[in-house]
Amino acid sequence: MPEIFGIPLTLLFGQLLVGLINGSFYAMMSLGVAIIFGMLRIGNFVHGAQYMLGAFGAWYLMNLPELLPGWGLPSIGYWGALIIVPIGVGLVGALMERLFIRRVYNLDHAYGLLLTVGLAMFIEGMFNVTYGAAGQRYDVPDALQGGVNLGFMFLPIYRAWVIVLALTVCFGTWYLIERTKLGSYLRAATENPDLVRAFGVNVPRMLMLTYAFGVGLAGMAGVMAAPIYQVGPQMGQSIIITIFAVVVIGGMGSISGAIISGLMMGLAEGLTKVFYPQASTTVVFVIMVIVLVLRPAGLFGRETTAHSTADVSSGRAGSILENGKLWFGILLAIGLVLPFTLFPIFAMKILIFALFAMAYNLIFGYVGLLAFGHAAFYGTSSYVAAHSASVLGWPPELCVLAGVSAATAIGALFGWLAIRRQGLYFAMITLALAQIIYFYALQASWTHGEDGIQSVPRGMLFGFIDLSDSMTMYFVTLTVFMGAFALIYRIIHSPFGQVLKSIRENEDRSISLGYSTNRFKLIAFTLSAMLAGLAGSMKALVFQIASLMDVFFMTSADALLMTLIGGVGTLLGPIVGAAVIVTLQTKLATFGAWVVVIQGAIFVLSVLFLRKGIVGTVEEYLANRKARRENNAVLPDKAMEPGE
Amino acid sequence: MTDTTPLLEVKNLEGWYGESKALHGINFDVHKGELVTLLGRNGAGKTSSLRAIMGMLPRKAGTIRFDGHDISNTPPERAARAGLAYCPEERGIFSSLTVAENFDLPPVVAPEGMSRKEILELFPNLERRWTSQGTKLSGGEQQMLAIGRILRTGARTLLLDEPTEGLAPVIIKQIGSVISALKKRGYTILLVEQNFRFAAKLADRFCIVEHGRVVDVIDRANLDAEKSKIQAHLGV
Ligand SMILES: Nc1ncnc2c1ncn2[C@@H]1O[C@H](COP(=O)(O)OP(=O)(O)OP(=O)(O)O)[C@@H](O)[C@H]1O
Ligand SMILES: [Mg+2]
Repeated sequence: MPEIFGIPLTLLFGQLLVGLINGSFYAMMSLGVAIIFGMLRIGNFVHGAQYMLGAFGAWYLMNLPELLPGWGLPSIGYWGALIIVPIGVGLVGALMERLFIRRVYNLDHAYGLLLTVGLAMFIEGMFNVTYGAAGQRYDVPDALQGGVNLGFMFLPIYRAWVIVLALTVCFGTWYLIERTKLGSYLRAATENPDLVRAFGVNVPRMLMLTYAFGVGLAGMAGVMAAPIYQVGPQMGQSIIITIFAVVVIGGMGSISGAIISGLMMGLAEGLTKVFYPQASTTVVFVIMVIVLVLRPAGLFGRETTAHSTADVSSGRAGSILENGKLWFGILLAIGLVLPFTLFPIFAMKILIFALFAMAYNLIFGYVGLLAFGHAAFYGTSSYVAAHSASVLGWPPELCVLAGVSAATAIGALFGWLAIRRQGLYFAMITLALAQIIYFYALQASWTHGEDGIQSVPRGMLFGFIDLSDSMTMYFVTLTVFMGAFALIYRIIHSPFGQVLKSIRENEDRSISLGYSTNRFKLIAFTLSAMLAGLAGSMKALVFQIASLMDVFFMTSADALLMTLIGGVGTLLGPIVGAAVIVTLQTKLATFGAWVVVIQGAIFVLSVLFLRKGIVGTVEEYLANRKARRENNAVLPDKAMEPGE
Repeated sequence: MTDTTPLLEVKNLEGWYGESKALHGINFDVHKGELVTLLGRNGAGKTSSLRAIMGMLPRKAGTIRFDGHDISNTPPERAARAGLAYCPEERGIFSSLTVAENFDLPPVVAPEGMSRKEILELFPNLERRWTSQGTKLSGGEQQMLAIGRILRTGARTLLLDEPTEGLAPVIIKQIGSVISALKKRGYTILLVEQNFRFAAKLADRFCIVEHGRVVDVIDRANLDAEKSKIQAHLGV
């Protein structure tokens, strides 16, 4: 058998083919994400779910007679699905745009991402409830059965078809956008939507159709994928983060960049599988890191003008709700009675998640950077602390120290890589970086894969405080929490914190005042990672387990959700948010798979209706009341909004 | 009766950017075939007035009537379809489009638009650069493209925002002759200018904008008598 570098050629070509197939899907998917990002400035996190909808759509059509018995419906096969499903999924997309996405165009990018994350959770959760994690079978259509022997390898016809079709669709889309009249409207609207509107083009409708088109591509990819991968609720989730990385590599918004890097990343994965299989799941993210260092705008992207950070904070300086000394006392008092009214383990869960959310709020609320990978710091620290305790037998204080140090180091590294980008880029990059940690934890031996590190001993704190007692553990956790609360309060009220605030409010001005804003952001990011790590290692001790869930992206989403529900950029918001979410998760635990659905719905609803969060809403009420009392203010003249 | 109703009528127009108010009550009329100019210093509210007419201001109050219809609340695409063509101050040439694509971009809204040939006769420079990237053109060429492309659409009322800004005297002269040619063809033109000498040669009426208000309207007939007053307003 012929070999190259000791690798049989058949294996090499076989993996390259698999790579090319995956790459075809990456290309189609990232093309849709890139178009939607370019036109709508939305990081369409629900793209994976829409791809899954496509696959399920094909499966439904195939099984119509069994699914709806008595309707006399025919079974619609692959070819029909290839036409009907993209249109159907596109229509669902148009509806989603109309109902949800449209409402966040004028808001910060953060909300678009949050909204689509929520929609993805909702849709994928619903399918999970209905079909469980198991995949459904979908057969290769008869006409494309079999394969040809090329001499050096066997080529299944269906796979060849997928590659050809994907390339055709990608090229067709590229042509449509770059070379036609319709495409010139799209390109112009990407640059200056207001002016294109003023020329008489109905841009809002065009945005809706663009979204529907991008989503339709995902639906089509789903149909094409159905005979190759299993049709299951998880299929979108496992691809979307890679797609985001591909889009970053190609250069966000670049059409040809998305197509070419999609194919290249598929091939890169295939090659890695041959030469160093352990790295095949992370290679795309590693390439993304290298590209970011060498060419921050991506391989084919144009350097975009730095757009400032987001001010999504709903805190109000000087308010009673921001009075750290007062609330330190109140929280301490609540903390002292809490374990006598709640189970200590439940109370500790609230404290740990509150600490995690406070850490997250430091970067999202106070600096305005939409980080989306804090699970990496939380989870790393959790694993390191658990390992130190159970394998190395270290005392708890050293375990926590080791965990926090690891989180801080990774935080500094990730921060250094990501900090030059803002908004959605920052979110996608931190998400992709965190995915490297996730796959590492999945594969490394010391993390014990799916099992995690279990039965972590809590040990004796400082050699004499026995943490195995729940009450003792609780009060230690409370001490750590109160310490972190005080520290964060000090940070945001220090001169350093003032600079962060001014960066958030107006980065350009801060730069012109001579601040090296990137350095400040990096320090804040590292601090935030450090505190997230503190929460993670405490979690390992309290629950005596470190698991994949800790490094999973949903944990990052949890931190974000708690901060959002409570009130971004407020002192108390993360704590309130953590209490609400932990309570909900505990209460809903009996509903099993529904938890994700409900959490997704909460995400969507809070983005649409509770953007200020609970604390922010109370704050607004207090501020309005104060304003009403102090002066019978002359409200701005009645004004009309331009009609829709 | 119809002769005395203005084609474009702006009454008590107020406008805001977020919390800050930019327009405090703009009033003026433009009759069919007239060339009216809005003169004023930087930040007076000239651009904001045009944007408000086009429906591009986020928040506004007051009435705008055009061609017998109330367009105070219409979105920009409807204002354009009603026959208003807008040439923005920053010219709005798209860099991801070629000159040709930029030229063909604005949809045709009425039948009596000028043909490409006629427009290229007015702006012969454009033809040589037909396949270049839009923003690779010089400032003067970009201005010509920005004016040229709206003549194609058939709209008969043009809103031109400082077409001479930052251009060399010979180009200004060329643009001046194009504008007067358009006027002869019967176009109605609302011209925003800071360059009084340029506007003086073309306009039938001069509206002085100051701090978001029209503080004075001067007819061409009284121009000589009022010249010093205008110059005082403009600070020249
Ligand atoms: N996008 C905006 N956001 C906030 N304020 C704005 C914006 N555009 C204009 N303004 C403010 O509105 C006021 C009027 O501005 P406008 O652009 O209409 O002036 P102008 O008369 O066109 O000035 P110029 O001759 O410099 O173009 C100014 O005070 C300006 O600062
Ligand atoms: Mg202006």
